Parts: sequence; structure tokens; C-alpha cells
Amino acid sequence: MNPPAGPPSTARRIGHGSLALLAAAAIWLPCLHFFYTRPATVFHVTPGLSTRASELASRHLRLWTEPGLRQQELGRMRASNAEWDFMGRSFLVWSLANMALRDPPSSATYMQVIDQIIEETLRLERQEGMHFFLMPYSKARAFELEPARSLFLDGEIALMLAARRVAVEKPEYKALLADRVSVIVDRMRKSPALAAESYPDECWTFDHAVALAAIRLSDHLDGTDHAGLCREWIALARQRLLHPASGLLVSSYSRKGEHQDGPEGSTLWMVAHCLQLIDRDFARDQYERARRDLGRTVLGFSYAREWPASWHGRTDIDSGPIIPVLGVSAGSSGMAFVGACAFGDWDYVRTLAATLDMAAFPSRRAGALRYCASNQVGDAALLYATVLGPLWEKVTSRAKP
Amino acid sequence: MNARFRERCAALWHARFFSAGDFVLRALFLIAVFLIVHLAGLREYTAFLSGTPAHPGMSWQWVAFLGTLYLLLYFAFILLVPVLLLAAAILFLTRRSGS
Repeated sequence: MNPPAGPPSTARRIGHGSLALLAAAAIWLPCLHFFYTRPATVFHVTPGLSTRASELASRHLRLWTEPGLRQQELGRMRASNAEWDFMGRSFLVWSLANMALRDPPSSATYMQVIDQIIEETLRLERQEGMHFFLMPYSKARAFELEPARSLFLDGEIALMLAARRVAVEKPEYKALLADRVSVIVDRMRKSPALAAESYPDECWTFDHAVALAAIRLSDHLDGTDHAGLCREWIALARQRLLHPASGLLVSSYSRKGEHQDGPEGSTLWMVAHCLQLIDRDFARDQYERARRDLGRTVLGFSYAREWPASWHGRTDIDSGPIIPVLGVSAGSSGMAFVGACAFGDWDYVRTLAATLDMAAFPSRRAGALRYCASNQVGDAALLYATVLGPLWEKVTSRAKP
Repeated sequence: MNARFRERCAALWHARFFSAGDFVLRALFLIAVFLIVHLAGLREYTAFLSGTPAHPGMSWQWVAFLGTLYLLLYFAFILLVPVLLLAAAILFLTRRSGS
């Protein structure tokens, strides 16, 4: 008969405990994503509105019907970056235009909020000047092309006006849109690289892609034809704006087309989406390259890097903080939803949404959803990802307004 | 019943380092601390991840500190706590099958 087993020695206990911890981690970590993964249809559906879209929209509509709440939210964002105040408006208008096409019975409510946003934005631009929505370095030196204007503002305002008109026509916005488009085209034509400044001698691919989308919508609405300009820009981008190692579009460049930065995820996903209106093949090629070079999935959770392995930029307000080792970028990961939904990459949407639910801290109150780790512009971009589609489809289906 | 429960709690409290009881105790501690910061509303301060202050009047360092504290405890709650409890179960079961 064996003697009863006594307590194991300290070394033996630590050895057993360590092995148990390793085994437990090997069981738990691959299972964790099951608690956060939902079908992609929770995020994006066709037709109608997904549950996530309705929850996010509820919060944003409340922001524009409760002035106190809006001031508080805008105050938080402007404390960091005045651009976010502006971009939050743009993404919300573009979202609501898509929502009006998805949910026609609620269209009147959406149009009311769109008009409120557009009119307040135009009033602020008129009263405070364009620098109100730009970062302080916009005043650091003179714009190369006088009078100073920012394509960041002109492009996004043009797309707001055009999106509103494509969703539900508003004749008062026809002249406003035509003026913006005329300014954009004129300034692009004055540069050898078809480059219009957003900041002094700083031109952004993001802003050009948005502006080209606005021009395309404007052509659809008013029967104008800027197809030549769009073709020229694409040809020029293929020739001069690609990062040689990755084949991805660089994010910023000078008026002469000299690269000022490399490819950035916070820019690329939206650029690929906007270019779907201009050159579908080029847009898909950019998306697939971005997906391959920036998209990552670990243990069932997806995210996006800000830079491809062949380029390392500096962390800035667009990238957000970068999580070391994995290279997770909040800015790029948020915008990756736009790219993934635009190109129907539902597996990526599903796994990105799992990461969002795990690490962005959703907070639900009275049917309204916001992400604590995000802000109004981040949530508005997510809302846009959940509803995008109908606006682009209406324009590319060649149906006349 | 109460006496037995108290006895078990005492055994847990005095559990040896890296034993099943020690893992359970650590998991319970993490759950308690996470619940405290969660109920105190520190989730709001994770807004620092987007470069946005949770409250415009607060100092950035303070917001980042509270946000980071919440983040660490949240990830401890979803990653470490289940691993500790599973490890405790594995130790308990292997010991039981061994004896």
C-alpha cells in the first residue's frame, strides 16, 4: 500500500500551476471571439437598416435635436481637432442620405437634420472663415494658390450638397453645388498634378477622392460632364501618387505632386470607396492591396494597421494611438469598416465588428449606441459604413434623377 | 453549512501560491476591482483612445490615467479571469484524478 500523497513541493506546485495556466490560455484565447462575433448582417444589410445602423443613428439624430448634447459633444472634439467637428457633420449627412434611400418613410426626418447640418456648417464657414474647421497650422503660412481655399472643406461640403440632392432633390442647393464644383475643378486645373490644397501646399488623396465623388454625383444630377478630369486624375494618380513598394496611394503630396507622406490606412479605405464612382477596377485594386497590407486577423479579431510593412509614418491625429507589436491603429481600423462594407468583404466586417464590440466599449442607452473609446466623428464614420451603398448605386445605375 | 462555507473561505484565503485556490482568489480579486471601476463609470475615460477628452475641463494626463486603468482591468477581466478560473479547474481535476 502506498503512503497518502502529501502536498507537492513549491517548485512542483509552480510547475503544475504554470502548465495549467498555459493550458487554460490555449483553451480560452481562441474561444474569446465567440462571445463578440455576430453575423455581418447585424452591421450592414441590404435593403433596410441594420440594428447597428439604427442604434448608431438614434444617438446622432439626438445630437442634432438636443442642442445641449451637441454642444457638449462638439466641445469635446474641438478640444482635440476642429477637423473632427467638420468631418462628423459630413459623415452624418452622407449617412442620412443613404438612410433616406434605405428607409423612405423616415426620409423627411433625415432631410430635416441634413438641412440643419448643411445650413449651420455653411453659416459657420461664412462667419468664422474656413480656418474654423481646420487645424491651426492652416494659418502657419500662405496657401500657394490665392485666394486661399481648402479642398478638405470644398470637397466634403460639395459631397454633402450632392448627397442630399441625390437622396431627395432640393432646388436651393443646385447653385451652391455648382459653385463648389466649379471652384474645385478650377483649382485642380491650375496645378500640374491636378492637386488642390487642403492646407498650405499640402494636398490630400482623401480630399481629392471625396471631391471627385462629389463631382461625379454633380454630373449625375445636373447633366454636366467631368469624366475627362476624373480620367486624367486617375491616370496621374497611377503614374505619380503610388507608393512604389506597396502600390498603395500615398496620403499627401505637394501641389507639384511630390510625396509628403506614404500610404495611410486612415486615408486609404475611404479613398478606395470614393474611387468606386470614378474607376471601379482601380478602386478594387487599392482595396485589395490595403486589405492585404493593412488588414490583420488575430484569434478571430480583425483590425487594420495604419501603414504597410514597407512604410513607417509618424503617429498623428489621423492614425490615433498605435498599439505596439500588433500595430493596431484606431483610425485605420475604424475606416476599414467603410472599405470592407463598400467592397462586400463580409468576413472582414464580421471580425472587425467583433474587435469593435470587444475593445471600443459600446454603451447603449434608450436604444441609442455610442462607443466610449470613439467620438462623434468615429461613430459617424461607423454609421456611414453601416448604411453606405444606395447613394453610389443610384448614381452608377445610370438612372436619371 | 455556514461553518463549512467559512472554512472553505478561510482555506481559499490561505491558499498556497500557484495552487487552484490561489488562482480562484486572484480571479475573485480582479472581478471585484473591475466591478468597482466599471460601476464608478471609468468606461467613459477610454475616450482617450480616440484622442478625445471624456470631459473637456479635465487634464489630459488624468483622463489618460483613468482610461488606462479601466483598459487594464477590463482586459484582465476578459482575458486573465477566465484563464485563472480554467487553470484552477484543471489543477483541481488533475489533482482529484491523481488522488
